[in-house]
Amino acid sequence: MSLISSQNRRTLIVVFITLLVVCEMLAYVATTPRPQEQFFQLYVLGAKHMAADYYPDNDPTIRIGEPVTWYLGVTDNMGTAQLVSIRVKMANQTIRPPDDQQGLESPAPVVAEFMRFLRENETFETPFVWNVTDAVSSAGSTRIVTLQINNETYQIQNWSARDGYNFRLIFELWTWQTDANGFQLGWTASGEHRVAWLQVWFNMTSPRPT
Amino acid sequence: MPRTKTKLAIAVGLAMLALIAIQPLTVTSQTIGALEPRFGETIVALHRSESAGATSSEIGELVILLNNALALNVEALKLNVPSDAPRRIELLTQVDQILTTVENRAAELTAVATQRTFTNKVLAYVGGAIAAVLGTVAYAFLTSFYRRYRVKRTFEMRVTRK
Repeated sequence: MSLISSQNRRTLIVVFITLLVVCEMLAYVATTPRPQEQFFQLYVLGAKHMAADYYPDNDPTIRIGEPVTWYLGVTDNMGTAQLVSIRVKMANQTIRPPDDQQGLESPAPVVAEFMRFLRENETFETPFVWNVTDAVSSAGSTRIVTLQINNETYQIQNWSARDGYNFRLIFELWTWQTDANGFQLGWTASGEHRVAWLQVWFNMTSPRPT
Repeated sequence: MPRTKTKLAIAVGLAMLALIAIQPLTVTSQTIGALEPRFGETIVALHRSESAGATSSEIGELVILLNNALALNVEALKLNVPSDAPRRIELLTQVDQILTTVENRAAELTAVATQRTFTNKVLAYVGGAIAAVLGTVAYAFLTSFYRRYRVKRTFEMRVTRK
């Protein structure tokens, strides 16, 4: 005589199969990494670590030798380790900024570069202390000759602005593309190319006369 | 004829020795630009480890080493004066060593992480099957207990006149 009737056996088989499917689905969900939105965050903060107070005394007109303190940062939310480069460019009002739609960099010259490996969800932040160490004026045009960033002096080639107004520092985020084996402006996520860049304007109206 | 062969062998040997001796000099010519593909290769190695299931902290240790290599590389790049050449060579050799270390550790990490991920998956799926068996046994006991309870209740019934 069987301990379990055939009807009960059938019920138990159905229960077992149902539980097995549910438990294996849970196991699959637990062991499969969830897809997440992939992006970078690029930021420039003022002297008080806030999105304010970018200039000494809140005056965007910078004088020669006057130090300006910012904080430059990037966060990797790509879900993987990344090699990133923040390129700092000096531009005036007429130079073209980076093109988000076409993914084109600004043609302004690179002044400084910050390269860094970032692991998943890591933020790299560095103080960005700069000052214009030399600027000359001639015929209503002001040209910045040298710029000091974090105690490193950089020569600026032929970059001028009318009466010293509307200079800008452009910060572009470049990332290492493994398939292209080189740096690329922005990054590619889910088949879409994205660009992150920032700019901060300033004036230099008190250069030394030539 | 044998003398010609000996000369040829000596020439080949000398050429190989020259190549080996030149190797450190090749390192000196590397700049940050020249080293970029090498840094890129390490990123590929890190991605491979991450895909295999390496944890963020494991990758973090390698990232710290890579950032040290980047800092040394930048320092080497600043040494442009000929008198700084020995220091530059030393720094670039260190960068090379760090990158080799990272590549080796990433390869080890990939192997370990692959094994660990496989074990975890097997354990999860086997655990699911065991949970299903335990659930079925529990269900069988509960239904059996409930049935016995119903039978007991039936026999305990009393007929009363209304």
